[in-house]
Amino acid sequence: MASVSASHLILFIASLVIAAGVAGTFTQGVSRLSQGIEDQSLEVSEEVRTDIEVISDAGSPVYNNSTNTVTLLVKNTGTSDLNNDSRFIEVLLDGRYRPNVTTTVVDGETWRPTNVIRLEVTAELSSGDHRVKLIVNGDEEVFRFRT
Amino acid sequence: MGFSVSGSAAIVFVGIFLAFSSAYTASANGFERVADARSAVDEDALDRQNTALSVTNTTYDAGNDTLTVEAVNEGSTTLEVEAIDLLVDNTYRDDYAVRRVGGDNSTTLWLPGERLHLEVSTSSQPDRVKIVTGPGVAAAEVL
Repeated sequence: MASVSASHLILFIASLVIAAGVAGTFTQGVSRLSQGIEDQSLEVSEEVRTDIEVISDAGSPVYNNSTNTVTLLVKNTGTSDLNNDSRFIEVLLDGRYRPNVTTTVVDGETWRPTNVIRLEVTAELSSGDHRVKLIVNGDEEVFRFRT
Repeated sequence: MGFSVSGSAAIVFVGIFLAFSSAYTASANGFERVADARSAVDEDALDRQNTALSVTNTTYDAGNDTLTVEAVNEGSTTLEVEAIDLLVDNTYRDDYAVRRVGGDNSTTLWLPGERLHLEVSTSSQPDRVKIVTGPGVAAAEVL
């Protein structure tokens, strides 16, 4: 009789341990998934809120022949602050990625909504039509000009 | 055996309950955050659609090296004077000698129908002037 009770107790403890393991694993997995959803929603909302506009006047010279510099003025027309560090701004000039970009906020300290940055790209361009594409936080903007 | 099944089932159910409650909170917060962002973008798009301006006068006075630009808010959106950008031959200018709206130089609002008056100092006569509003709607004028 005592051996039956002992085996029942062992089975009872074992079943509780297994159930706790299953519940713990499940909770941990769902918690990880929740964290992923949280992070992803933050990124998506930032992308949705990001909007930029190249406000440079294509009718005026954009390219400086003597310094080989393309100067663009880019306005933050979205609803979130953007980082004006050149590492966060991808520039494609005539389809080629340009890493040598300098940026300066011209009307404030940071690139807040309605603020403008001056973006300077050093490149040797022949005379003719050109195309520059900016990508900031998933938002793409194309600007065409002539040298 | 009855206690084992009941105890295990209770532990598993509590675990599932806790997991789904945290998952629901995270999903609801995430969807709300994205919905808020879309709503803000929609409101901005509406403002942009309702924004219109025209440059009515651009004159350069060689005597005192002053460029005067006047524009009228022809839309139905109230614009912010601080958010207005002036480009003179593609050079960003915010060193205004005069910036007033309808004769008032202290206001920060450019209401529909009102005239914005800007004066900047330039050493030579520029060719083109561009005014950009906060929502990004712009107007250009050739001198």
